[in-house]
Amino acid sequence: MLANPLALIAEITHRCPLHCVYCSNPLELSAANSELKTEDWQRVFAEAAKMGILHLHLTGGEPLARTDLEELVASAHQARLYTNLITSGMGLSRQRLARLVQAGLDHIQLSFQDSQPDRADWIAGTKSHAHKVELAGWIREHRIAFTANLVVHRQNLDDLEDTIKFLERLRPDRIEIAHTQYYGWALENRAALMPTAAQLEKALAVVAAAAARLKGSVRIDSVVPDYHAQFPKACMGGWGQRLMLINPKGEALPCHAAGVIPGLVFDNVRERSLPSIWNESSAFQKFRGEDWMQEPCRTCERRTEDFGGCRCQAFLLTGDAAATDPVCSLASTHHVILETLRQSPTNIVSPLSLSENWKYRPNPSRNRP
Amino acid sequence: MAIDQTSKPALAVGCRWGGSQEDPMLLFPEGAMKVQGTGLAILELCDGQRTFPEIVEELHRRYLGSDEQRIREDAAKFLEQLHEKRIVDF
Repeated sequence: MLANPLALIAEITHRCPLHCVYCSNPLELSAANSELKTEDWQRVFAEAAKMGILHLHLTGGEPLARTDLEELVASAHQARLYTNLITSGMGLSRQRLARLVQAGLDHIQLSFQDSQPDRADWIAGTKSHAHKVELAGWIREHRIAFTANLVVHRQNLDDLEDTIKFLERLRPDRIEIAHTQYYGWALENRAALMPTAAQLEKALAVVAAAAARLKGSVRIDSVVPDYHAQFPKACMGGWGQRLMLINPKGEALPCHAAGVIPGLVFDNVRERSLPSIWNESSAFQKFRGEDWMQEPCRTCERRTEDFGGCRCQAFLLTGDAAATDPVCSLASTHHVILETLRQSPTNIVSPLSLSENWKYRPNPSRNRP
Repeated sequence: MAIDQTSKPALAVGCRWGGSQEDPMLLFPEGAMKVQGTGLAILELCDGQRTFPEIVEELHRRYLGSDEQRIREDAAKFLEQLHEKRIVDF
């Protein structure tokens, strides 16, 4: 029998004051006037809790861009969902933070780009660093879980040790070191973001040392990069197995990037209930189980562990969404990854020359195209 | 960190109960844990008021005929493990 999803990722808007070069949002952003209404989300949260979902991740874009965020948090809390706000913190006042906590927020995950203000602002494409630091202090005035999140890549990995120390001083409960995953805007900027093998090796040691040093006081979680790995990641814990994502306009997707796969039809929560989408939607069925698998996955003993890797990455890099994730060393298309790693410059590009070449994520249009 | 005589264990910040009455779950950032049996009994006593010896005493009273020393050791190990995962504070 199909188990319930454990978590719901609600991309409540694609509007965002930041323009991070590694943003995981799709290249085709949802327009502001296509977003679900307050009551749509409230119904979705109630349905989610009823079907056994435990965690709700409110994300975007920047979820604070929605003026009804307090109402949304209150509804999620009422449904007994464990509610996490994934935010840049931009524009979050001390008062609004207090209102969100009052509404029942359980966890806030605040993103940082670097420990140095100028470098952080350069990556985010906007001045945001100083406010985040001040906000971290306000968060500690409340009894909610606080995660400091840092996305790492070639441009900031060399400072990782110092950056972790900087994050520690903000007194989070948890630090998340996330290596850039190459989808959306990050894939567009991959040539500038892909770490060198030497950087990666050092980073893994730095993170392990920090985790050992902070054991019992700060939990360190890391999302490891997959291009350098031998086997692919168990993407989303398997397609349509554990997670469900609703985008700003109400489409239900098995993951952040699934929109890139041609031919998938995403049902909308405006028209169907969450359980019926989970159980019956063709997009969720498409890569569930093993029937879709090709060789070498089909007969591979690792297929129950990594599910053949990521379907979106398979499509983006090989043109076939049912192919083995090319990250896998057993994949016939693995040379695509090796070629990318070979082409990546081994030096660190200077910020100035880079800015001319990389693509900041824009804001979505106000109106539907 | 080792739990001691003065420790008053409680659920850590950002950690709370969820799930249903029949199927209680501990919820925390990015995770959930099913808790049953003695684990559940221990955690329900971790209210930030009771000291660790008081918790052990209460467990000993509930589980008649049990060895108090063994309860102390098992409960300490359990709570220390959860402390490492930032689920319990003391």
